[in-house]
Amino acid sequence: MAGPVAGVVLAGGRSSRMGQPKSGLEWHGATLLFRTAAVVARAVDGPIVVVRAPGQQLPDLPEGVDTAEDPVEGLGPMQGVAAGLSAVRDRAGAAFVCSTDLPFLHPAYVRAVVRGLDDPAVDLVLPTVRGYRQPLAAGYRTALTGLIEAQIAEGNLRPGMLLKHCCAVQPDDTALLADPAVAATDPALDSVQNVNTREEYERARARPAPDVTVQCFGALAGVHRRGPRTVAAASLGEAAAAVDLALDRHVVAAINGDHIVRDARLPLVAGDTVAFLSADAGG
Amino acid sequence: MAPGGYFGCALVVDVNGTAATAHGLDLDERVLRGYLGGVGLGTWLLHRLTPPEVDPFGPDAALAFVFSPLVGTPLTTSAKFAVVAKSPLTGLLTDALASSQFAIAGKLTGNDAIVVRGRARQLSVLLVDADGVRLEPAADLTGLSAAEAEAAAKQRFGRGWRTAAIGPAGERGVRYATISHDGRHAGRGGLGAVLGAKNLKAVLVRAGAKVAVHDQEAVLAAARDLRARSFGPATAKYRELGTLANLLAFNAVSTLPTRNFTAATFAEAPKLAAEQLHELRGVARNSCASCSIGCEHIYSRKGGGSQRMEYENVFALGPLCGVSDPDDVFAASARCDELGLDTISAGGTIAWAMECAERGLIDAPWLRFGDGPAVLRALDEIGAREGLGALLSEGSRRAAEVVGQGSLDFAPQVKGMEMPGYEPRTLQSMALGLAVNARGADHNRSGAYEADLSGRLDRFSGGEAHVLAAVDTEDRAAVMDSMILCKFLRGVFDEPFPEWARLLRTVTGWDLDEDELRAVARRIVRAKRAFNLREGATAADDRLPARMLETPLELGSGRTATLTAERLQAMVTSYYEARGLTADGRIPAARRAELLLDG
Repeated sequence: MAGPVAGVVLAGGRSSRMGQPKSGLEWHGATLLFRTAAVVARAVDGPIVVVRAPGQQLPDLPEGVDTAEDPVEGLGPMQGVAAGLSAVRDRAGAAFVCSTDLPFLHPAYVRAVVRGLDDPAVDLVLPTVRGYRQPLAAGYRTALTGLIEAQIAEGNLRPGMLLKHCCAVQPDDTALLADPAVAATDPALDSVQNVNTREEYERARARPAPDVTVQCFGALAGVHRRGPRTVAAASLGEAAAAVDLALDRHVVAAINGDHIVRDARLPLVAGDTVAFLSADAGG
Repeated sequence: MAPGGYFGCALVVDVNGTAATAHGLDLDERVLRGYLGGVGLGTWLLHRLTPPEVDPFGPDAALAFVFSPLVGTPLTTSAKFAVVAKSPLTGLLTDALASSQFAIAGKLTGNDAIVVRGRARQLSVLLVDADGVRLEPAADLTGLSAAEAEAAAKQRFGRGWRTAAIGPAGERGVRYATISHDGRHAGRGGLGAVLGAKNLKAVLVRAGAKVAVHDQEAVLAAARDLRARSFGPATAKYRELGTLANLLAFNAVSTLPTRNFTAATFAEAPKLAAEQLHELRGVARNSCASCSIGCEHIYSRKGGGSQRMEYENVFALGPLCGVSDPDDVFAASARCDELGLDTISAGGTIAWAMECAERGLIDAPWLRFGDGPAVLRALDEIGAREGLGALLSEGSRRAAEVVGQGSLDFAPQVKGMEMPGYEPRTLQSMALGLAVNARGADHNRSGAYEADLSGRLDRFSGGEAHVLAAVDTEDRAAVMDSMILCKFLRGVFDEPFPEWARLLRTVTGWDLDEDELRAVARRIVRAKRAFNLREGATAADDRLPARMLETPLELGSGRTATLTAERLQAMVTSYYEARGLTADGRIPAARRAELLLDG
């Protein structure tokens, strides 16, 4: 895909069946919104924007995540999609767009969806998982902003309305699982499993944390922490605790060799490798 | 009367044929306070004592051994000296630090610096003590390693003398030859070749003078405090595993340059890791004089003997050349020590040659990535300047200019100096530090990787924050290298500039504060640049090899690390602004006076 790909997380919505805003639901020391935004940020290289309702209070967001306001309430998720795409279109040619309530969203799924936009003829990658379209876990060309706004203006609020007006691909389970990374780390395609009720949330929260590989380096390894080990951890803080480390000024981490981080709330997913380093690594 | 910690004098030695004469150069307090000592004072001396556009191998080229106000105090890690000259590798200023007793004995000859000019008729040694200087023929030392020469000098002249010597590579003019003392090397930029060009196998110094500090009690108290802090967590990594601990960590975060910077991870890195070697090999620890950290880790070699291993020599002679057998890397490191070669430049130049050979650009079918014995053969040829070694002894930039065919694009160098083990595409503060540093690609004068690895900024996306980080670490290095304290101690200072100013106040008696010390740092950095500009450097030299700017790195995380020429140029432009330079990286005329070079 030429040019950066953005991430858009929709945090508005009434959460009426949940009884409280989903964005603020606790998730392994952070919130559901924090987790979703951070997972998307791991998988794309462009800006990350959280779309909120006018005046909506949001919990802490990961560093570098922006917010945008959806000026119009009550028009459904596609209005939020349009607001999000509009917020990033001068910085990215495409975006992965998702709702807040995807506690098992995996970066491999995001990458697989976004990869569908490598074909410049494709405007929309709309996964169809277990027979259901997933417009809030999908890839959009940011140039679709105007089309979506026009459709909403005409009263077409359903996500499927776009299919008549743009070039869309709709990868199904088989197509998504053809991606080896998705097959290895999200074989049940739990990435699209959302939580709408308190019971669904509690069931999801009760699931075991994913297995991740942890390795300590340098002085942190000492005698007792040498070599890789597998631990169950849904956040960086949980992984650190599993090897008796605290993410203080002397300790940083890299998830899969990527950014150097020290925020204990950062989410981990199945298959992750976490390296803990001295904060003053180097000669 | 000189300030505390100083003699207020540099000894300028002129070697001429079979004799040496010397005169003292008074060092004005304004200059000492403005440049401190070490690298800073050495830069000032080079401005004063080296004619513009001098041939680094010519008799007029000055080579300065420079001490500092802290040398000889009980402050931990202060027994260090700087060697400063115009580099035969870069054609620009180079400075290198080494540790131990030579620093103390050299200062106690009664001089804040010893500057050597001229040329001896035959291979000789230069002796300096409080009574004066003399030149002694030393044909019998020809071809000896620095360690052998040091031992022979001790035998011949007695135990009171401390010796800084060169190996065969320095005698033969290899452009990245080192000067060594007690197994420690003033390593970068070819200082050994400069000494060799003067037909000097070694410089010997003997203590005889005394120097007072301003407040002895306060210095002792500071020394006790610093020593206690040097045992804390900030230095643990150096104590426990040494700098080689970086190898696996850098591999895990995709910043271990591998196979001539074609990759940033090395699958076989664990074989070379300190953690592994500690379990499989006998290991001993050692310290420089006056040091309480003890970073040196000396591993036993198969078949006998031992070898001190650091991250940089393992990176350069291991992953950078695709070599994973620790014994091959041990042997290559030992060979560099015997020949007196900078391991980073040697490894970088050989890695470049390996890529050339594999691409068919040079006729060396024996030289392939991953072949440890081939590295040894290349080192031998470099040390002898024979076969392919004649070309490789010139360093990768000059060699690439000879080979052509686009090979300069992947020569791993900046300003002619080979790059250290920090991948610039995944460490973009460091990318700037490597590009703009006066010495060339260098990790000791710019520690900007600290910011990249701290988690405070996005190491994949260089911008304004990275520029500020690069400037800050460069300033800190300038002060530490001038006052002098070992940079391995840097983590123990919560507020470096105020704490360093306090240390200097107790030693010198100056009413120096944090702001003045920051101004000193900026002056030193600008003075180095001023020297390079005088020697013909331009803004075009502040860049990285094309490979780093045109070839993205694919990382294990799925990310592609990209550093473009435009992004680097934007950072360089901001750096010039932050440093108070003109848009083309020059010193504004109005700021020249701040450098104190005219008086």
